[in-house]
Amino acid sequence: MDALSVGHDVTRRQDALRSSHSRVVPRLLSVLAALAGSLLLLFLAAPLVELVGTSGGEGLLRLGNDVELRSSLLLTALCATTATLLGVIGATPLAYLLARREFPGRAVLAAVLDLPLLIPHPVAGIALLLLLGRESAVGGAALAVGLRIVGTPLGIIAAMLFVSAPLFVSGAREAFAKVDPRYEGVARTLGDTPWRAFYRVTLPLAGRGLLASSVVMWARAVSEFGAIVILTYNPKVASVLSYDRFTSYGLSEALPVAAALALLALLPLTLLRALRTESRSER
Amino acid sequence: MRAPGFTLTAITALLLGCTGSGGSERGAAGQGSAERGGGERVLVVFNAGSLARPIRAALDTFAAHEGVRVEQESAGSLETARKLTELGKVPDLIALADAEVFPRYLVPAQVDGYVEFAQNRMVLAYTDRSRFAQEMAPDTWWRILLRPGVETGRSDPHLDPNGYRSMLVWQLAEQYYGEPGLATRLETASPLRNVRPKEADLIGLLQAGEFDYIWSYESIARAIGLRYVRLSPAIDLSSPDSATSYARAAITVRGARAGDSVTFRGAPIVYAFAVPRAAPHPALAARFGAFLLSAEGRAILRREWLDAVDVPVVRGMRAAWMPSASDTMSLVGRMP
Repeated sequence: MDALSVGHDVTRRQDALRSSHSRVVPRLLSVLAALAGSLLLLFLAAPLVELVGTSGGEGLLRLGNDVELRSSLLLTALCATTATLLGVIGATPLAYLLARREFPGRAVLAAVLDLPLLIPHPVAGIALLLLLGRESAVGGAALAVGLRIVGTPLGIIAAMLFVSAPLFVSGAREAFAKVDPRYEGVARTLGDTPWRAFYRVTLPLAGRGLLASSVVMWARAVSEFGAIVILTYNPKVASVLSYDRFTSYGLSEALPVAAALALLALLPLTLLRALRTESRSER
Repeated sequence: MRAPGFTLTAITALLLGCTGSGGSERGAAGQGSAERGGGERVLVVFNAGSLARPIRAALDTFAAHEGVRVEQESAGSLETARKLTELGKVPDLIALADAEVFPRYLVPAQVDGYVEFAQNRMVLAYTDRSRFAQEMAPDTWWRILLRPGVETGRSDPHLDPNGYRSMLVWQLAEQYYGEPGLATRLETASPLRNVRPKEADLIGLLQAGEFDYIWSYESIARAIGLRYVRLSPAIDLSSPDSATSYARAAITVRGARAGDSVTFRGAPIVYAFAVPRAAPHPALAARFGAFLLSAEGRAILRREWLDAVDVPVVRGMRAAWMPSASDTMSLVGRMP
């Protein structure tokens, strides 16, 4: 064996070492990432698995024979859907404006729209009370035409809208920002009015993102408690009902309500996610 | 790359398997929430919403005396009881707005006995802006509440002692004023939409002008600086001497289980506290209990408008943490 071949051998071994080293590090990182992901998944899933596992069956049973629970879930779904529709109608133009236009005060407007997310929910309820109560200008005017807000489903919708609309705004803004403005430009050069270009080009392209944002908004609205309980305690939405059941009867009565809510909320969420996946694969 | 996905699933399955076996021990999980640092340096108190301010003031002074840290959780009396019975969260001392809650929910599993240490009275609180505020008077209040456009707030009788006490006052008023049907009419005048979980939740709505009048306690109205009508002692549940006539009123609310019901009879409003059997720091809790009953403690509670009694009453089993027999009136074994 001459010196040259020994040198080759060493180089080969070093290469092998380096390449095995270069394989070990990414693998280690993969394992660590998987571990971190698993822990979070577990943290998020375990309470729900426990909840549905222990009380899901009872919850489904209650759906059949607990009239108060059924009407409370229906009220929750109706109010959350109404709040989401109002949010979509009002927030879509704002989100488009924030995504497309540069104007003075844009950063301030964006911050103001995020603010409801930071306010503790009972405080949000009190703020809404000051705006919509019967002594306020808005609430007083509504009452004058026979619309009572505080203590009615309108109060529930107001609270849900306030706490959940910011989520739609930020999601929709992202969705609009992802649409290349040049497509709109092309539509305009082909003779579309700005409205028509928005309707025919931007809206369909951002559609999936808008739908996803509205699902997030709806889900947030369904789970709201703190602001609602200040404005409208009766009639009770599902979150208030489960608090009420816990306080008056304890866990055994509160868990089935919570489980039924979790199971029911899963339906529209899964449905809409599936809808999105379908529309994506069609494309 | 397939490996991470597989690993993720495997680890999750493994960990889920682990929690499956431990998940059933819910009761024990929350116990000893106050255990910190080994020594008795933290005192944890759960109290009724209407005791929040007086107990806070007493805790502050006590903490300065003893050099300890204090933690306070305020919630409705029934909700507070549920924290012990359902969630297994055990404080060092529990103080409630209705002494009755102890025998109904907490004796003997959670506490042996309890000490009645303060009293209160039902009042009708209002502000300068309340409709017909200038006409409010101790004997015409009910006529004003029945006027159209007057909004009266009350708390949930199923969750909060103040809620069922309001309804008891209506029944007593019906008898006292000789107005058949008055209780029902007052209930109609304070419909469900004017109900909130506990009496503390009503104050904000009163101050915002949503309600003209709210049913509350004298201690709260005074502490917050609200105007209030002092009702006749014959109906305001304040006088221990009127216990028999108060008992003529009764209200049925939901019981401890769905479908059950519990009847509360009218009784003088009495606040009570206890050191739970599983209190993490019983010695420190006993010292705070003694402080609440001391001349200094009573003065602090009274400064916060709570009517601390001069001679506390011990009910249930006499326990080691309770003050000596010579300082209290003992009703050992005479459970209400």
